[in-house]
Amino acid sequence: MKGIDLLRILIAFGLLLVLHYTLRPLLAWRSSPDFLVIALLLVSIRVRPGTAAIVGFVTGLVADSISIDGLGAGALAMSVVAFGASWLKAVFFADNLPLIAFFIFLGKWALDIMYHLASGNLGGGELAMQLLVWSPLAAAVTALFGLIVLALLRPILRTSPA
Amino acid sequence: MASRVSGRRDTLLLGACVALSVVTLALPQAVQDPFAAAMRRSVVAPLLSLQYNAELTRRAWEARERTRAERDSVVLAAMTAPQLERENERLRKMLGLGRRLRWGFVPAEALFNRSPGEEYTVVLSAGSRAGVRQFSPVVAPEGLVGMVRIVDPATSIAIVWPHTDFRVSAQSAEGSAFGIVGPHLGDEPDRYLLEMRGVPLRTSLARGTLIVSSGLGGVFPRGIPIGVVERELRTSEVWANTYLLRPAVLPADMSTVMILHPQRAGSGVDGVWDLANPDSAAADSVRRADSLARAQADTVRPREARPAAARVDTTRARVTPPVRRDTARRQAPARRDTASLRRDTARPQTVRRDTARRDTVRRDTVRGDTVRRDTATPAPVPLPAPPPGDSTARDTTASTP
Repeated sequence: MKGIDLLRILIAFGLLLVLHYTLRPLLAWRSSPDFLVIALLLVSIRVRPGTAAIVGFVTGLVADSISIDGLGAGALAMSVVAFGASWLKAVFFADNLPLIAFFIFLGKWALDIMYHLASGNLGGGELAMQLLVWSPLAAAVTALFGLIVLALLRPILRTSPA
Repeated sequence: MASRVSGRRDTLLLGACVALSVVTLALPQAVQDPFAAAMRRSVVAPLLSLQYNAELTRRAWEARERTRAERDSVVLAAMTAPQLERENERLRKMLGLGRRLRWGFVPAEALFNRSPGEEYTVVLSAGSRAGVRQFSPVVAPEGLVGMVRIVDPATSIAIVWPHTDFRVSAQSAEGSAFGIVGPHLGDEPDRYLLEMRGVPLRTSLARGTLIVSSGLGGVFPRGIPIGVVERELRTSEVWANTYLLRPAVLPADMSTVMILHPQRAGSGVDGVWDLANPDSAAADSVRRADSLARAQADTVRPREARPAAARVDTTRARVTPPVRRDTARRQAPARRDTASLRRDTARPQTVRRDTARRDTVRRDTVRGDTVRRDTATPAPVPLPAPPPGDSTARDTTASTP
């Protein structure tokens, strides 16, 4: 990856990070868009799986430090999701918006499943409700916002010719 | 070979990340908390600040919305306050009327019928199950509203005073003049006024004079305010005056009414509508009219400038309904001469005069009023005796020399 591309990715990542901590509290929806996941996947599909895992770990740790319990759960989930996203991207996907939206949906849902299972903050019916209802809803909203963000950031994220 | 190495390195990095995460998760809370706090104070501090400001913005927005909603509610409440005050006032008047009536009445909500031709009928929320009967009088705290025409078990339909079929036998509050009150069939807005017809020529009603039901006919008891005299009407009738009345009960005040049971109507409503009561609309009208009348005392018509003694005599004679009716109709010279002569000549016609004074119901059902008056059929129609209070008052007045 060239330096300019890295800079663009970092800018997009920073923007999404800011959105996560500004727009999300403003919306305050029950199923809010997760801009961290969008940022993570955006980076992951452009770097190697190992690097993506490290980015996921750091991002997850940042997110965990703000939450009350389960420090490390987000780091674990994001590491795995980021690694998987990078690996799957290398194997399957091209730059196709619907596919990326589906990718984001799956990534967010998988992350929620891993996070809630790892942190153990929910149990029984509440966990099932969260994983089967609210998480898919949040994943869908995240995918929708991911599409919008990708459409808006397309000029920034376009890779420069080799 | 290079890709296999890099693949192994990626896997190792993932393993390391997973291992670190698991270790972090497994750390005791006492270790986790300082670590998270250190991160919040350093790396995550700008993000936390952003989140905090966003939260504040959201709360400010919600507070603004809440404040606006509260302000709108206050404005709405302020807008509806006068209406509520009016409704309160009306209900208070209704309570007062119920307290004065004491028994034999049914409170009801009145809903105006909007279909063509039925503009002057109301649907009442009480029917035969509540004791309502056909021809039951419908009243309001201000006075007479109308009469029940059709009775169903749960509802009933009443005609109100602007209805073309509405008639009520009436008299001035002090009993000096009698007549028949019906709707004034003029154009808007005079359509919502009343006419008092058949008032003898010798009787002059000043503006503001309160007109009440006379009790003749047995449907409307005596003493229910009907309206106040507005002015005299010029008509083609030669031997009687017609007066325009301002109704005591306006259409807007007909939303809540009282239906009198036949027994209650039969026993009279003396003292229920007290003219001295300050909350009586009719009394207010009378007071206003009285002051106007006093102010215009010098500008009355010439016949009102007759000697006082003569007026007293005439008044005494006028309060005898048989005399008034008959003399007005056929013995005008005798009427002008002496009251005693009028009484004598009129006595045989008493029954017929009474029927002429019948109110709406009897006229509608018997249809004898107009025929008898116009054709002057000699055979008197036997009718039930008028209400005790009414007849007593009339007889007493008639026997006064």
